[in-house]
Amino acid sequence: MLSIDNLHASVEDKTIIKGLNLEVKPGEVHAIMGPNGAGKSTLGYVLSGREGYEVNEGTATLNGKDLLDLDVEERAREGLFLAFQYPVEIPGVSNMEFLKESVNALREHRGEEPLTAAEFLKKAKAACKQVNLPLDFLKRGVNEGFSGGEKKRNEIMQMILLEPSLCILDESDSGLDVDALQVVADGVNSQRDGQRSFIVVTHYQRLLDYIKPDFVHILADGKIVKSGDASLALEVEKSGYAFLGKAYEEADA
Amino acid sequence: MSEQIEQALSKQYEAGFYSEIESDTFENGLDESIIRRISAMKNEPEWMLEWRLKAYHSWLEMEEPDWAHVDYPKVDYQAISYYSSPKSMKDKPKSLDEVDPELLDVYNKLGIPLHEQEMLAGVAVDAVFDSVSVVTTFREKLHEAGVIFCPISEAIQKYPELVKKYIGSVVPRTDNYFAALNSAVFTDGSFVYIPKGVRCPMELSTYFRINEQNTGQFERTLIVADEGSHVSYLEGCTAPQRDENQLHAAVVELVALDKANIKYSTVQNWYPGDENGKGGIYNFVTKRGICHNDAKISWTQVETGSAVTWKYPSCVLKGDNSVGEFYSVALTRGRQQADTGTKMIHLGKNTRSTIISKGISAGKSNNAYRGLVQMGPKSDGARNFTQCDSLLIGDQCGAHTFPYIESRNPSAIVEHEATTSKVSDEQLFLAQQRGLDAEKAVSMIVNGFCKEVFKELPMEFAVEAGKLLEISLEGSVG
Amino acid sequence: MSQWLSEVIATAQTHQDWLAPHRQAALAELEKVRWPLRKVEDWRFTPLIPVEKRSVSLATPENTAFSAPKIGELSAIELVFSGNELLTDVSALSLPEGLEIVRFSTATAEQQQVIESLLSGVKPAKHLFGQVNDALLADGLYIKVAAGKTIDTPIRISQLASNEGDQHLRVLMQVEAGARATVLEDGYGDASSVNTAFSEYVLHSEAHLEHYRFAMFTQQAMHVGGCHFKVAEKAQLNSTLIGYGSQLSRLDVDVIYTGEFANANINAIYLLAEGELFDLHTTIEHAVPNCTTEENARGIVGDRAKAVFNGRIHIHRDAQKTLAELNNRNLLLSRRAVINTKPELEIYADDVKCAHGATVAEIDDTALYYLLTRGISRSQALIMLNFGFIQELISQIPNEDIAGWLLTQLHDRFVGMEVK
Repeated sequence: MLSIDNLHASVEDKTIIKGLNLEVKPGEVHAIMGPNGAGKSTLGYVLSGREGYEVNEGTATLNGKDLLDLDVEERAREGLFLAFQYPVEIPGVSNMEFLKESVNALREHRGEEPLTAAEFLKKAKAACKQVNLPLDFLKRGVNEGFSGGEKKRNEIMQMILLEPSLCILDESDSGLDVDALQVVADGVNSQRDGQRSFIVVTHYQRLLDYIKPDFVHILADGKIVKSGDASLALEVEKSGYAFLGKAYEEADA
Repeated sequence: MSEQIEQALSKQYEAGFYSEIESDTFENGLDESIIRRISAMKNEPEWMLEWRLKAYHSWLEMEEPDWAHVDYPKVDYQAISYYSSPKSMKDKPKSLDEVDPELLDVYNKLGIPLHEQEMLAGVAVDAVFDSVSVVTTFREKLHEAGVIFCPISEAIQKYPELVKKYIGSVVPRTDNYFAALNSAVFTDGSFVYIPKGVRCPMELSTYFRINEQNTGQFERTLIVADEGSHVSYLEGCTAPQRDENQLHAAVVELVALDKANIKYSTVQNWYPGDENGKGGIYNFVTKRGICHNDAKISWTQVETGSAVTWKYPSCVLKGDNSVGEFYSVALTRGRQQADTGTKMIHLGKNTRSTIISKGISAGKSNNAYRGLVQMGPKSDGARNFTQCDSLLIGDQCGAHTFPYIESRNPSAIVEHEATTSKVSDEQLFLAQQRGLDAEKAVSMIVNGFCKEVFKELPMEFAVEAGKLLEISLEGSVG
Repeated sequence: MSQWLSEVIATAQTHQDWLAPHRQAALAELEKVRWPLRKVEDWRFTPLIPVEKRSVSLATPENTAFSAPKIGELSAIELVFSGNELLTDVSALSLPEGLEIVRFSTATAEQQQVIESLLSGVKPAKHLFGQVNDALLADGLYIKVAAGKTIDTPIRISQLASNEGDQHLRVLMQVEAGARATVLEDGYGDASSVNTAFSEYVLHSEAHLEHYRFAMFTQQAMHVGGCHFKVAEKAQLNSTLIGYGSQLSRLDVDVIYTGEFANANINAIYLLAEGELFDLHTTIEHAVPNCTTEENARGIVGDRAKAVFNGRIHIHRDAQKTLAELNNRNLLLSRRAVINTKPELEIYADDVKCAHGATVAEIDDTALYYLLTRGISRSQALIMLNFGFIQELISQIPNEDIAGWLLTQLHDRFVGMEVK
């Protein structure tokens, strides 16, 4: 599915990702944890192709296609979905208009007929219901005036609608109370079908109680310094990142 | 409440004294012969005289601008004397010891001692008294660094090539009515040249004093910062308290060559006239700088004086990646009128400008911000941010904002915001309840309002500016 | 003095009807005009060259094939004005109770008196073309909504520049105390012409007016017009202004508060392509305390077009507790397009909350990236984002037929403009 090899990336001439390797197979859930400033959010931006994030070295392929060669929207159409930590507000562009445009762009890419307004509405309503968003929300501007929790749920709702093959969730748990967290996790879990893969980027172990990862990686200073199973996340929960001091230092050396 | 503040604002002008100093003053009036005489007094080369005469003839054809939000009786340009010099300056004093002690005393009284040992360390001063430069301090020390800092009359003789190359290059002779007049009759002012790569070792400062009656002051300042150099310059101004209006029409030109950095700060405290609007200085000034590639010009002004102010320190951002800044506090009270602001002309790519303007209106005054932000067709990626805030004290004053924005480039971004607020009874009550008197409270609120601008001033002057505002606001509040 | 203006004066002097005394006052003002007006602040960015050298010829209503567009399912009281004549037979209209519509040309002596007392009572004398309208108007409409009446059916007044030649339309309207009404003034056409249309509204206490003005003239059809409102105590004015550009298109809007606790919301949209020019001047006179104004003007300017916006808020000495906000946002789509904007504040009262803002910007990169990560193409994303900020204002329009129609019109016009 996703294969990252020796990735180096920088922002404004500052190298953030420094030789990252990651292999994600279909159906797997990988959690990426790490201290602040480790480059966790940068990874999502680099893979999605955000302007200003330069790849200096290495490769990344999605289903065999060279991701780094594609434009932002082409990567999305190839099945990459990034759920943002802080989704932007776009007043004036309604959610409905935005999502319909998006769903049909992806369908067209897959060679499918565009959805009619009625078909789309039905799907969108179902997706809203799944993540507990009121229906009038479709009429409102994209993320406009949404609470932090609503924005996060909107991201998950989009993920459900767009049916991507690889989902990157960037701190989708931050700022959520337990109930909201449960909604987000249920939304994600409903999309686990043995084929779809996930990269769950998080600072805290908490989210991983709800979304069980197959692998946990610790990202520090732009590299994965330790990998393991779900128990690694529990270690982090118990003793923080300090216990990785030694590994971190080795990686840093 | 407004009565209390009104009283707080009726404070006397502290620099309003007149000094009995014998002077040579031209008879009133302006014609070609006056210009020839000014030029002769200054021993100017022929080219300078010709330049003046051309300016004079253009001026005769021009009309006094009337678009500003100010109202004043027409100036009678024939009722002004265009040259006045203290007698003691006739035989040019060679050093400070030879300067008339009475003159030095004037500056002492203004709190600007000119003896180097008594001065603020690290500040060189050019003192201009009516039409002549009295003394320029720390010249030796500056000379060692290759910095030229001298009266412009001297520069015309000593460095004619530099002056010839740059004078009128930023503010052309015919730029506007007052600039044309200044070009014809300018008497003195400062000249600064900072050589390539030099960081000027001290703050440079010019102190302007109008003393004589019925004279105009027409100074001209030219600052050239060569590639990669840095300089910080400050000017201060005061005048005696008189019933007649006096005209001050200056021109300041700044040239920042590639990667140069000029910081120009003004604390303007010309006599503002009395509470009924009698007397005071007409401050009609043209200030403009040009920035070449990667250069930066920053204007900071604290304007508390003058009966009428007409002044728009501007930046022409010609070079790519150049930066222009304008930070302004303008306080008007009594019957003062100010129409001031800036122009940011973005010509080069990725040029940046910031405008922070704080207007404080009190009494029966009117205070207007007038600005222009222009994004040229080639200013790709240019950015401007403008913030204009007005504070009204009392309900008899006016606060106005006239921002002109023109964009011709789709990738340029301009943002302008303006707000108004007042010193409220609640704020005043709170402060008084906590034991502060009304005048302290008002001064605190005003200082807070101006904070963003004060922090741009060189440290010594930030303190001075704060005090100046406090003095302006101080009074017998019960 | 320009050829055009001197011909205006000459032509006006030949009109002899009951409005002649009124005309004289305007002519006296026009005699004083010092043309060209390039140095006059009001015309600083809008050259009058296309008018300057024209001859005055008044249009006549010949072209019957040209009509105003149908606005969705909107059912309105339609008043069509073309070639200096009202094409609608007002006497044949069945008007709801409380609504009165009178033509100047057929006014009774009593009605003439009312009209004379109101004419130019709201429109400030400073508007040069308003004076031209005073001098040349052949016909006009006087509309009155009686106190306490609500007129549900919108009143639509359309001006059609279907033929070459100039035409001048005048509307006077009184919305009496507590009355409610909706008025749509729209104008279309592209024939070589100068079209002036000035309307004066008096909103009495607690009156409520939903007002629309669509200046949709294009190409050779020049348009210089104005909407002027006097707003009394507790009255509410909502106005939506739409500007297309033509060789010269200029709209002046004045709101003058005459009573306390009145409100005005003004939304303006301009969308300009090719070599079009549109100039919007708004002036809000807060002459009394406790009134609230909210004004939003948004525009997109492409190709070689030019937009001029001048938004003035004037808080008079006694107008304490005023709340006034003005916001102007612009998008420039081309290197040859120009925007001149000047939001002005003139404030003489201290206990007020006033703010204005103006921006000229390109698309927010973060928003664009967000849309791209959802697979939307760059060109489509640009359209959505650019148009989104226009759509935001349209969504505030209470009349669904008008909102829907406008959305389609503006969207089509926008898509037709070259994006980047």
